[in-house]
Amino acid sequence: MAKIELTRIPFIKNALKSRYPQLAVFIVMLIGYIFAILAGLIGTPVGSHNFSIVFVWIAWWAILILVAVPFFGRGWCAVCPIPLPGEWLQHGAVLSPPDKRPKWLNLRVPKMFRNIWLQNISYLLLALFSSVLLTTPNITGIVLAAMLFAAIGLSTVFERRAFCRYLCPVGGFIGLYSQTAPIELRIKDKQVCVTCEGKPCYNGSSAGYGCPWDVFPGGLTKNTYCGLCMECIRTCPHDNIAVNLRPFSADLAKPSTRMDEAFKAFIMLGSAIVYAGVLLGPWGMFKDAAYNVGSSAWFIYAIVFLAIIFVVLPGLFTLGILNTKNTLPLKQRFASLSTALIPLGLMFWVAFSLSFVLTNASYILAALSDPLGLGWNLFGTANAAWLPMLTSILAPAQTLALVVGLVWSARTAQKSANEAGTSSMPVVIYCFVATSLMLWLLL
Amino acid sequence: MKRAELISRILIVVGILLAVGAPLFFWARTPLIHARMAEDGGWNPDVIQAEVGKPLHLKFTSDDVVHGFAVGQMDMQSVDILPGKVTDITLNFDEPGIYTFFCTRWCGLNHWRMRGTIEVSGSSSDPEPATVPLYVSLKLDLDAPHDAPVVPNGKPLAISGQSLETNLPIDQSAEYYRSHSPYEVFESLQNTPLTDGQRWNAVAYFWQSNTTSESLANGRQLYAQNCAACHGENGAGNGVFADDLVQAGEASMQSMSGAMNMMMQAPVDFTDPRRMLGASPALLQGKILRGGMGTGMPMWGSIFTEQQIWDLTAYIYSFQFEYEK
Amino acid sequence: MRPTPNTDRPTSPNLMRFHFSLLLLVMAGLAVAFVPLPVPAITPQERTFEIDAHQFAYSPSELKVNTGDTITIQLVSADVVHGLYVYGYDISVEADPGQSATLTFVADKPGSFRFRCNITCGAMHPFMIGKLNVGSNSWLYRSIGLAALAVFGVTVSKKPKA
Repeated sequence: MAKIELTRIPFIKNALKSRYPQLAVFIVMLIGYIFAILAGLIGTPVGSHNFSIVFVWIAWWAILILVAVPFFGRGWCAVCPIPLPGEWLQHGAVLSPPDKRPKWLNLRVPKMFRNIWLQNISYLLLALFSSVLLTTPNITGIVLAAMLFAAIGLSTVFERRAFCRYLCPVGGFIGLYSQTAPIELRIKDKQVCVTCEGKPCYNGSSAGYGCPWDVFPGGLTKNTYCGLCMECIRTCPHDNIAVNLRPFSADLAKPSTRMDEAFKAFIMLGSAIVYAGVLLGPWGMFKDAAYNVGSSAWFIYAIVFLAIIFVVLPGLFTLGILNTKNTLPLKQRFASLSTALIPLGLMFWVAFSLSFVLTNASYILAALSDPLGLGWNLFGTANAAWLPMLTSILAPAQTLALVVGLVWSARTAQKSANEAGTSSMPVVIYCFVATSLMLWLLL
Repeated sequence: MKRAELISRILIVVGILLAVGAPLFFWARTPLIHARMAEDGGWNPDVIQAEVGKPLHLKFTSDDVVHGFAVGQMDMQSVDILPGKVTDITLNFDEPGIYTFFCTRWCGLNHWRMRGTIEVSGSSSDPEPATVPLYVSLKLDLDAPHDAPVVPNGKPLAISGQSLETNLPIDQSAEYYRSHSPYEVFESLQNTPLTDGQRWNAVAYFWQSNTTSESLANGRQLYAQNCAACHGENGAGNGVFADDLVQAGEASMQSMSGAMNMMMQAPVDFTDPRRMLGASPALLQGKILRGGMGTGMPMWGSIFTEQQIWDLTAYIYSFQFEYEK
Repeated sequence: MRPTPNTDRPTSPNLMRFHFSLLLLVMAGLAVAFVPLPVPAITPQERTFEIDAHQFAYSPSELKVNTGDTITIQLVSADVVHGLYVYGYDISVEADPGQSATLTFVADKPGSFRFRCNITCGAMHPFMIGKLNVGSNSWLYRSIGLAALAVFGVTVSKKPKA
C-alpha cells in the first residue's frame, strides 16, 4: 500500500517547520499542565470536581488512548509540556538556537539505562498506585510536578530529552504502540544521508537542535523512539525528511527482538486486564485491596499484579510457542512473536478506556467551569449533572475494538511467525483467549 | 537576542506566573468551610464568629461525601453540602449566644460528632430565662434501669382503649403524661375492674390522646433522619451502625475496667416493651437531651428544640402502641 | 536476503473468490451478532433484593434475574449517602443511612447491565460498581463468537508463504 508524503503539502510542511505554531501549542500545554498541578495541590480533594483529575485522567487520557496514539503515534509527545522548561534551559533559548549555547553537563545517558526498562518500572510504579493516583487530586498534582522537575533536573545533567526517552512512564507505552499508527517521520532518500556531512539532524546546527530523542533520523525505520518534535526537519540541509501517511501498523512488519519492548507489551496487556477486572468489575474486595496502599491486602494485590505481568502472561505465551517448529532461538522468538500483543494491547486499552471515559466525560463540563471547586461558574456548566454518555453504544464499541484488535494481532502474528519461520497458531490462540477474557471482564 | 525570542520568553514567563498565581490568589481569597467525615476532622473551621443583626455569609464545601448543614434550635431548613461543590448560606441572629451547627446527612459512624459552634456576640433584646428540663426537676436517674415488671401480650390498641377511657382515673394533664411511664399509668388502673389487656389498651389510648398527628409526623421524619441509622428503621436497635457500635464497645472493653454500662454498645431496641414501657416521656427526653455519656448515643440538647424532642418521644412510643391511623 | 513477498495483483477469479469469502465472513459475523436466538419462556416473577451499599462496594454486587421479572431493589446505605444507577435502564435511587429507598422496575431488556453509585461517596466512588444479569448475557457470547469467527477468518485467509 502506498505512502502519502504529507510534508509535500506546503501548508503542512511550513506549519511543522515553523517554530511559532509549535511554541503556541507548547505554551498552552505548559500553562494547562502547571494549572493542573496547582489544582491538584490546592483545589478540592474531590477528584470528580477537580481540574487535575478530570483533565488528566479523563480528558487527556481519552484523547491520548482513543485518538493520539492510534492515529498519531507519538503525537502526544510532540506537544507534551513536560520536557519544555528543562529543554529551554538546556538550549538557552525557546526558539532557534542562540549564538552562545549555555554550558550544561550534557552527559550521555549510561549504556545500561539506554533501553525502556526504566520506563517499564516507572509505569509499574504508577500502576500499582493507580487507584489512589486516579482518584486523589493532590497525588496527581505531586506526580505531575515530580515528572516536570525530574525532566528539568535530567536536562541539566544529561544531553537531549533524557526524561522523555528513558524515564517517562507514559512514553514507554506510547512508543511501543506508536508502531501501529498511520503516521511516520522518515527520510526520503537514504543515499542523501550517506553523503551528508556533519549529520546536523543528529548533531544540531544553527537552524535547530540535534535530535532531542537521541535518534539518528537517517536510520529511523520505526516510530518507537521518534517523538515527532520536528527538529530534524528544521536542521536537514537537504530537505530529506518527510512526515508520511502510511498503512496502520506498518512498523509491525519488522518485529523487534528486544526483551524490554516485549515485556512492555505484556505489562500493558496485563495491566489492561487487571484494571478491567479490579476497577470495572463488581468485586469490592479487589478494589479495597488496590486502594488501601500499604495494607497487607495491597501487598498481595501488588504481588498478584506483578506475577500476572511478569510470570503468568509471558509464561503462558512461552509455553505456547515452545514446541513449534522454529528457526530462531526461543528468546528472539518470544520477543518477535510478542509483537502481536501490541495491537491487541492497544485495543484492550481502547475498550477499557471507553467505559470510564464515556461514563465520566460529563465531569469535564463541571470541571471547566469550576476547576478548583471554589464555587466558580466560568462557563455556566458548573452544575452540569453527572450523566453517562452513549451508554447504548458502549458494549458494541468495546466488542468492535476488541475484535478488531484480535484480527489485527492475528495478522501481525502471522507476519512475525513467517519471519521467525514458525507457526502463528499458538499466538493466535493466546490472543483469542485473552480477548475472550477481556470481553468477559468488560461486558 | 532576537525579538521573537524575547517576546516568546515573556509570554512563557507571564503564562507560568498566571498559571501559578491565579489559582493561589483566588484560593487564598475564598474563605471556605470544609466539611469532612468526623474521622477526618469534621468541620474546618469549626468555630465561627458572628454578630447579632449582621448577616453571616458562609461558604461550605465537602471534601469527601454528602454532608448537610443546619444550626441547632434555629428554625431553618437544612442545606446539603455536596462533594466538590460550594454551597452559600446566609444566617441572621437575633440573640447572642453560642449556637451549635451540625451535619444533617449521615456521613459515617461518627456523623453526629460533626458539630461546630457559632459564637454570636452582641446585646440581647429578649433574654429568655433558662428552663430546667423535666427529668432534672423530677430528679430522674437517667442511667438507672427502668424495666417494666409487667408487659402486655402483643401491642396494645389505642382504639380499643378509647371505649374504655371515659371513667378511668387518669390525670389528663400534659404534666402527668410527661412524668409517668406507661407502666406507671397501667399500675394506677389496678383498682379498676379491667383486665390487664384492657388496661394496656387504655394506656395506649391515653398515650395517643397526648399525641397530635402533626407531632407524630414530625417525630417520624426526625427519627428517620437522625435516629434510624443506629436504632433501625423499624426501631429494633438494628440500624446500619449497630454492629459498628458494638464492635467499638468490645474493642474498648480492654481499656475500661469499671463502667461497662457506659461504653459503646448496641443501640436501644425501641420495640422492647420491657424497657420502653417503663420509661416516661421525661426520661426519654432526658436521654435525648443529655446523650449516653460514652455509650455512643449523641446528646441533642443544643440541636433539637423542646418541641422536636416531644415529637420524637411521641414517635418512639408508636413502636409500642398501635395508634389509630 | 529474504525472498520478496508475492505482490502480484490477484488474478480475476482469485479476486472474486476473495471478495466472496469476505462477504460470507461478514454475513456470518452479522448473523452471530444479530440473529435472534430462541429465548426460553420463563414466567416473569417479582424479585426483591436488599442491597447494602458501603464505601466502595455493593453487597450483593451481582444480581441474577429472568427477562420480564419485576425487580425491587431496596438500597440500604451502611455508612454514607450512596446512590444506585442502572446502566441500560437509566434509572437510579439514593439512600441515606437509616433511610433506605426502593427502586422498582421491570427488567424487560435482557443482557448484563452494570449498576453504580451516582452520589459522590468518597475517593473510589467512580469504581463502586455492581452487575445486574437479566436473562443470559447474550451479547458476551455473541462477542466471543465474533472473536472466534474473526480468528477463523484470519487463519484461513493466511497468505501463502512466498
